[in-house]
Amino acid sequence: MIERQLTLIMENKPGALARVVGLFHQRGYNIDSLHVDPITDFKPYEFIERELNIKFQKNEVSRLIIKTTVGDTLMRQILRQINKLIEVIAVSDNDNTYLKGILRDENLL
Amino acid sequence: MKLAGNDMLIQSLINEGVEYIFGYPGGAALHIYDAIFNQKEMQHILVRHEQGATHAADGYARATGKPGVVMVTSGPGATNAITGIATAFMDSIPMVVISGQVQSHLIGTDAFQETDMIGISRPIVKHSFTVDHQSNIPRIVKEAFYVATSGRQGPVVIDVPKDLTNPDDLFDFNYPDEANIRSYNPPIKPEENQIDRVIEALKNSKRPVIYAGGGTIASNASNELREFNSYIKAPVTNTLMGLGVYPGTDKYFLGMLGMHGTYQANMAMHNADLILAVGARFDDRITNTPEKFAPRAQIVHFDVDHSSVSKIIEADIAVFGQVKDSLKSINEKLKLESSYFNKDRFSDWHNQIANWKDAHGLNHDLYKNIDDKSPILPQAAVQQIYQTSEGRAFVTSDVGQHQMFAAQYYHFDEPRKWINSGGLGTMGFGLPSAMGVKLAYPDEEVICITGEGSIQMCIQELSTCSQYKLPIKIFNINNLALGMVKQWQDMNYDGRHSSISYEDSLPDFSKLVESYGHVGIKITKNSELKQKIEEAFSINDRLVFVDIYVDPSEHVYPMLVAPNGSLENMWLSKGKKT
Repeated sequence: MIERQLTLIMENKPGALARVVGLFHQRGYNIDSLHVDPITDFKPYEFIERELNIKFQKNEVSRLIIKTTVGDTLMRQILRQINKLIEVIAVSDNDNTYLKGILRDENLL
Repeated sequence: MKLAGNDMLIQSLINEGVEYIFGYPGGAALHIYDAIFNQKEMQHILVRHEQGATHAADGYARATGKPGVVMVTSGPGATNAITGIATAFMDSIPMVVISGQVQSHLIGTDAFQETDMIGISRPIVKHSFTVDHQSNIPRIVKEAFYVATSGRQGPVVIDVPKDLTNPDDLFDFNYPDEANIRSYNPPIKPEENQIDRVIEALKNSKRPVIYAGGGTIASNASNELREFNSYIKAPVTNTLMGLGVYPGTDKYFLGMLGMHGTYQANMAMHNADLILAVGARFDDRITNTPEKFAPRAQIVHFDVDHSSVSKIIEADIAVFGQVKDSLKSINEKLKLESSYFNKDRFSDWHNQIANWKDAHGLNHDLYKNIDDKSPILPQAAVQQIYQTSEGRAFVTSDVGQHQMFAAQYYHFDEPRKWINSGGLGTMGFGLPSAMGVKLAYPDEEVICITGEGSIQMCIQELSTCSQYKLPIKIFNINNLALGMVKQWQDMNYDGRHSSISYEDSLPDFSKLVESYGHVGIKITKNSELKQKIEEAFSINDRLVFVDIYVDPSEHVYPMLVAPNGSLENMWLSKGKKT
């Protein structure tokens, strides 16, 4: 078990954060720390816009940074469960990035 | 066209092709119910409890493949719907639940009949929406139906504050042709190279088993699965949720697997060298101890849901996408190689399975016993129901021993005919879900196999059946106790029967149903089982409730030995283990 950092890009909508936080409790995972802010600079996320063929507008999406302490198998499960949430656009840890419908074996976020 | 919020909501449902709304009115939903009154395209079915509405919509969805629609009011209406939403969620059933909410300016003030429906339902929905403005109603309804019916299906909640359905506030109504959610793209085509790997694995296998579950039914892939096995001719087992997706009377069918699966199905899984999991999720009722599951098998997993693959059992080959698409693409390739899988290829394996079946398979002739000195066996009752209905009925069930006996002894040759709460295990599901099925298929035989415990959890719906004239047949496998709990107490608690008896408080079910205008039939002896069940099936214009008194001491076998057992560790009868 090691501490890992996940980065999520998600729609900035009411209730969206609660779905992520709720999922951690519901599936028996623990959150060590949580940071959330609306994204104003989209430069680092242009690849998402390209891959999904979308265009982000200011304050439309949020970035979440979550720290959690888990093993490898559970980490993969957490990523996949988070990626299933309808309002999550992308999620990544140190090894894998999940975009909606697209899986990358590298850390892109 | 300008419409008020209430009419927009109803017109959107009409545009989605909704036939039935299952619901119950109340304060926060009054404007919506006024809009229901003013239209003729859809019929509202007034249930007697909101749980009944969700199960009825669920039964409708399972039988037809179309989403079930539920309408409830705020507060208690919403919370009463929760069990039914969770039931649909666990079995991935498409459902749209519209809940009234208190007026926007009252939200958060502990107003009358206020509850945070979005919060309460969050862990048991695929997604949920709060209506924030009338003009968003058409888009939200479109998206709700899209989310509920695409990818891995599931229930969706739309919470609607009362002021946004006010008939005096008019807005433009344009129903969108399609939903477009940029953060939601359910998986598309399966990857070609994964399909090739599956075929390679099949060629190297001597002992394959196809293990198909509810996802195969959800994906309407029954024909594709049958075609698939027409090429490879492997043994097939189904989960509780998958029964009917492969013909129950087919020579390659092993019966159900898992906790109360057949001996041959569990042994085949345990000894397989290749398991092809098709729309199944390695639930704990299937795997027993995961570390001891199928120790020699390579695992191939076909699933639409990323998070289901390698969740419990690590997959060696994963094929993501709708099971229907994946099977189609593998069939295309197998068609060209069908000579490879000639009919003798797995003959040793089939012989081994036949030997297991001969040794400890189920006895399907119990219904032939007409000796009145012994009590009716619950298995015999199900077998007789199967014989008389010629295996063609829709069968809903509740939860417990009767459910397992129905799954073991009613052989389904078609998908969507077996309707039961597999994941959540919801007692009370059987009767209301049968209502949904009967409304969808009024000319088909619809049976509910239940127990005297389960039926009493939603028995109020007998009244709904009377109002809408739903001539379903209810077979109450009456063993005077909560049989499955009692079985566990017999086996694990030295027979200490804690809180499983109603003592002398059971109603006379015949009199009870007759008071609603239904027909009651009571069966207490083996010699009258056949004749009275035939009598029940001869009545087609009224609901018939057949109360069958069965052996109260009977257990369900086989039963996996737990904890720490594998799939080959089974109880075969009282006191006898493998």
